[in-house]
Amino acid sequence: MDKLVVAAASVVSEADARAARLGTRFGRLDLSSRLALLAVEALGVDFDALPRDRVGICLATRAGSLPTDIDYWNGRDAPGGPSPTLFAYTLPSAAIGEIAIRHRLTGPSLCLVGENTGALAEAVLLIRRGEVEACLCVECNLVTPALARMIQLPPAARACALFLQRSGDGLRALRENDRDVESLCVLLCPPKSAT
Amino acid sequence: MNPLVNELKAKIVALFKLEDVSPDQIDDNAPLFGAGLELDSIDALELVVMLERDYGIVIKDIEEGRPAFQSVRTLAEFIRARGSS
Amino acid sequence: MVDSTQASRPAVSIAGCGAITAVGCGLDALRSALRANASGLRPCDRFNSPRFQSNIVGSAPGNGDGADLDDPAWRLAADALRQAREQARDIVAAIPAERIGLVLSSTKANIEALERHAANRPCSDAARRHLRADLLAADLAATHGAKGPVQCVSVACVSGLVAVQQGAKLIERGAADAVLVVGVDHLSAFVVAGFSALKAMDPTGCRPFDRDRRGLSPGEAGAAIVLARADRVPPPAITLRGWGGSNDANHMTGPTRDGSGLAQAIRAALEMAELPPAQIDYVNAHGTGTPYNDAMESAALRAVFGQRCPPTSGSKGMLGHTLGAAGVVETILCAVAMQERWLPGTPRLNVAADGAPASLVLQPRSVARLDHVLKLNTGFGGVNGALILRHG
Repeated sequence: MDKLVVAAASVVSEADARAARLGTRFGRLDLSSRLALLAVEALGVDFDALPRDRVGICLATRAGSLPTDIDYWNGRDAPGGPSPTLFAYTLPSAAIGEIAIRHRLTGPSLCLVGENTGALAEAVLLIRRGEVEACLCVECNLVTPALARMIQLPPAARACALFLQRSGDGLRALRENDRDVESLCVLLCPPKSAT
Repeated sequence: MNPLVNELKAKIVALFKLEDVSPDQIDDNAPLFGAGLELDSIDALELVVMLERDYGIVIKDIEEGRPAFQSVRTLAEFIRARGSS
Repeated sequence: MVDSTQASRPAVSIAGCGAITAVGCGLDALRSALRANASGLRPCDRFNSPRFQSNIVGSAPGNGDGADLDDPAWRLAADALRQAREQARDIVAAIPAERIGLVLSSTKANIEALERHAANRPCSDAARRHLRADLLAADLAATHGAKGPVQCVSVACVSGLVAVQQGAKLIERGAADAVLVVGVDHLSAFVVAGFSALKAMDPTGCRPFDRDRRGLSPGEAGAAIVLARADRVPPPAITLRGWGGSNDANHMTGPTRDGSGLAQAIRAALEMAELPPAQIDYVNAHGTGTPYNDAMESAALRAVFGQRCPPTSGSKGMLGHTLGAAGVVETILCAVAMQERWLPGTPRLNVAADGAPASLVLQPRSVARLDHVLKLNTGFGGVNGALILRHG
């Protein structure tokens, strides 16, 4: 079986998301979507070079949409009611929609919730089964302080992304013991120098 | 009319977090939806919420709001005609 | 080009099902509702306040008014799982627990716990734990004898179909010999207030494909399917033949008008199933009853089937829109229909919209053949899904 190629990898933080300017829509997005979108942007993939319906999106979210759920529900008693926009983002898979819209990707997608979701293996499987030629694999770990108080998870705000391809140039071939997105991204992305 | 128009421009920039636009860059008659500020159908609903929250105007369905949402000027006219601010 | 074709992969079949929905508890209730073209949508006093566009919803028995459960998601999911495992008991008994996996589909898990937390109302530890869909999945697996791989899927309203696919893939690649696929979402102020904010509900209750449709009706359900390798399931069985997914890449809550994204997903499913469109005997649509969704689906079906659209109906007038449970419970409805050879009707549809498929089935009817069924779902974020089932 030919090895798949890790074409690009990225790691982004909340500070990166707050500093980023990615057009008119970006500022309105919930932080989870912004992190995921920025992680994809930071890959620097030229999607024009690929058939858009043959690129998959595999998203894993540590805490689902709970951070946005809290924000939305906190606004329930405002005169006029809660925000319709926020409600639309109370889905773990919301970032898939934003990524698809921004890069015009029309292929299949998958969103998993939890830790050690096996997202990387799922992305590989989508390619191996011929459902896609390439796959974005994004892991978003957002646990806001408000959420951390409610559930037993440490606060966190970061996202990592990989772009897997069947062949071609890239950082390196995917290896048998590459098990999860975050470890692989941290390995492949040099830490930023302090600014 | 003018203070209301300016107030609405500031609210729109804040509500939709239009980071690259300042209120005085919004033309009174520029389309809010589609080309122009590129607001979309969910944003229209956010405007409905804002109208109730900030001006006490209740819009029952989106069709009622459609003529108001053409531009900042039509929005201000709508508020003056309907509102209690 | 690909590493294996569908023909070379082990086939996966349905070994058992269970459901608890707005029309009652158990498959018999579903079967009766199917025959009667019944609607389970009713006014529910929980949603009388002006913050909700309508109080007409699909409420499951024992979960609605007065029940005051703190873990309604658990209750629905566990009930459905118990039913499905009972139906599949001979097959499951032959499989060690380590070889039984579980895939959960839910959009909001036990969101009740968030509402209670915000209102300072009492909430058990278990209920709070199940606010996290991954822990809900883990606990369901532990309680229901699944010590194999556990996945938690959440892809908006396509979740259920994706969970069925994920279950099939676990079996295909040898990671499990049986998978418990569970879909659940419970009725909540959180969701009903949200759809109200989007003005997406029909105040009189949803009317899929109707000329005068105005929106959706939220519903709740617990639904479970036990999947197993086809060679473990005695014929005649319902087998998963193929599936496809796509994204409209257009708008977060509105589908593309021409249905091209959904059409792409349907074509991918047909390709995986190695079937031409003409072999599809029936289509169970997503059919939420919103003006845009139903028009888009009609366009997608036209694009794929041309003038030869198979008989098509929508079940959300019966069950409401059950979100993360929809793909699972509607697949179960298709399975029941296939076993009975009854085409489901479209409850609450009065006058079909212009542009709706000419082959729309209003009232259920018996048919000679119901071998291949196409199930569709679409969701927020532009996601589309298609699943093809085969009976025989």
